[in-house]
Amino acid sequence: MFLSDFRREFYEVIVTQRVLLLIASDVDALCACKILQALFQCDHVQYTLVPVSGWQELETAFLEHKDQFQYFVLINCGANIDLLEILQPEEDTFFFICDTHRPINVVNVYNESQIKLLVKQDDDLEIPAYDDIFRDEEEDEDDSGNESDGSEPSGKRKRFEEDIMERTMKRRQRREWEARRREILFDYEQYEYHGTSSAMVMFDLAWIMSKDLNDMLWWAIVGLTDQWVQDKITQMKYVTDIGTLQRHVSRHNHRNEDEENSLSIDCMRIAFEYDLRLALYQHWSLFESLCNTCYTSASLKLWSVQGQKRLQEFFAEMGLPLKQVKQKFNSMDISLKENLQEMIEESASKFGMKNLRVQTFSIHFGFKNKFLASDIVYATASLMENIEKDEPGTDNFIKALDSLSRSNLDKLHQGLELAKKQLRAIQQTVASCICTNLVISQGPFLYCYLMEGTPDVKLFSKPVSLCLLSKYLLKSFVCSTKNKRCKLLPLIVAAPMAVEQGTVIMVGIPPETESSDKKNFFGRAFEKAAERTNSRTLHNHFDMSIIELKMEDRSKFLDALISLLS
Amino acid sequence: MFGERAAELVRGLHRAADGHLPAFNEDGIRQVLEEMKALYEQNQSDVNEAKSGRSDLIRTIKFRHCSLLRNRRCVVAYLYDRLLRIRALRWEYGSVLPNDLRFHMSAEETEWFNQYKKSLATYMRSLGGEEGLDLTQDMKPPKSLYIEVRCLKDHGEFEIDDGTTILLKKNSQHFLPRWKCEQLIRQGVLEHVLS
Repeated sequence: MFLSDFRREFYEVIVTQRVLLLIASDVDALCACKILQALFQCDHVQYTLVPVSGWQELETAFLEHKDQFQYFVLINCGANIDLLEILQPEEDTFFFICDTHRPINVVNVYNESQIKLLVKQDDDLEIPAYDDIFRDEEEDEDDSGNESDGSEPSGKRKRFEEDIMERTMKRRQRREWEARRREILFDYEQYEYHGTSSAMVMFDLAWIMSKDLNDMLWWAIVGLTDQWVQDKITQMKYVTDIGTLQRHVSRHNHRNEDEENSLSIDCMRIAFEYDLRLALYQHWSLFESLCNTCYTSASLKLWSVQGQKRLQEFFAEMGLPLKQVKQKFNSMDISLKENLQEMIEESASKFGMKNLRVQTFSIHFGFKNKFLASDIVYATASLMENIEKDEPGTDNFIKALDSLSRSNLDKLHQGLELAKKQLRAIQQTVASCICTNLVISQGPFLYCYLMEGTPDVKLFSKPVSLCLLSKYLLKSFVCSTKNKRCKLLPLIVAAPMAVEQGTVIMVGIPPETESSDKKNFFGRAFEKAAERTNSRTLHNHFDMSIIELKMEDRSKFLDALISLLS
Repeated sequence: MFGERAAELVRGLHRAADGHLPAFNEDGIRQVLEEMKALYEQNQSDVNEAKSGRSDLIRTIKFRHCSLLRNRRCVVAYLYDRLLRIRALRWEYGSVLPNDLRFHMSAEETEWFNQYKKSLATYMRSLGGEEGLDLTQDMKPPKSLYIEVRCLKDHGEFEIDDGTTILLKKNSQHFLPRWKCEQLIRQGVLEHVLS
């Protein structure tokens, strides 16, 4: 069931209990978790935090802890599957689910006792009505009761006929109802998309209780920015949510505007910015950042020689010497940096990049530290999928969680370095895929398979990196292809996952258009195709559009997908 | 040089970092005692001779006596400092010491430690009403009663005071009463997360 009063129905219930937090591995979930942890520390709520990266881990974590806890809080996992069915919990176990995955499973929605959903109602949920999908059990019992009555030999013949009529009517009604139910459910579950960021939901909770801090606000911003960086929400939704957060930002950061209310430089300040959409540019060089940002590299078509020329022209247009743009942004000439943003925007619009600036937030503390929200997102995400050391995923999770606190700047800087590597790897892979024509049109969708042995292929066995790669690849492909039909197609990217086990990871993303609503139909399609072909697939990831399957089953699975979608 | 070995004892202990208990230097103590015994015997015989009129020996006797006193002071300082360290161990590690530390103590020290334990326990029982008061907890006033800890290795189930158990699994994070965690943090099972 949906909770309407989060404070009374959620927080005040768990404040006296011991709670198990199950946190999915994405940046938004981490931010929501940070906010919740801060709240719990204020109120001395004893909790245990367990990172989970997929359904399997969720199940084992639940089994291990179910005897010790009654209250479970799930962040960014659990809403889109029938949770009671897979976990089989006791009657006195309660789940509070804060998840951005949509559509929410209808059983979760209509379970009145055990499942409590922390979801903002103003999201466009379109939940089917109860009567359309559930029928009271009693009616069925009536049905069977009639049957046993009818079979008694003592009944009169006439009544017997009436009975039969009635029963067939009922059966027909039931069949019609079932067909309608299937249709409604199909419509409802067909598309997968994301709702309001969990970090924002948690921040709202803190705000309602007047326990919101500037730090929490920053985490909410990072959570929202993660959704935008990962391209999970529409531009509209992003702008609306930014507006909401901006009100909070101005409420928290109005000090320091005049002399009387000055704050120490060490205090943290959040500022609304209309900043460049270049990845990590304040911690990189302008040149590198331009080359490795998806938006600019796709628009300038940097993978071709002409593209490189266009990049040089772009710098010439702005009047920035190459020597300056290739050195660290921090050390660039101050005179050049003064009007940099306006200058870049002006020249960029001449090169067809109209949206190079975007509303975002930045954080300052101390003299040296200034970060954009997207910097933090890239750093944390790449820490989470660090492949340099062969550590279990939970180690990376913990490091990523640490990097979000301001006291762990060294971890954040480490994350920034990793993020640069990741972006470079993505850019190089995209360039080589486009230059060697690895993206093939299969009819209803585009398909790209990363061969074993491609550089950085190990990085792309991780879901978030692979998703990021596919989004970049699709954008670049749309810019490079001349085929108009191909521009409107969705993309499937597959990469080898574990060589010893012979598995591949496959992700499907929706088409890249201006008015894209970011709704993804691959989740259901993958499920259907797997059913039809009996492929050995594993739906482990919380996103339904990411699956693992056996290498040998790949071709028949794709064939089934093609026939299913065309 | 007389007194050199005794000073070496003290120096050795001084070199060990604060709160660290080096192994009991039995050999050193024995050598000092032997030296003292030799000094004493020489003095004894010289005193007898001095009584019979050799007054030139008196300065030597005085010198030997000073060395004896110095040796005594050094040995007492050595033993006393060790006792202070051992006493600090009780407050830090609780009543059961880790094995390697126990081997660093002499038999007499172990006995003293046991007696100290006993009298401390008796005293703590007598405080704070019925159930006593653990003075070794919270030596400095804690900032909060609960702390955030992270599990560094699989430890299994762990019971906290309200009777519930929690599972300490690697890389899980917990928010627990400070005094329940302190021991596990010292054992290296948990790590205090500062944020």
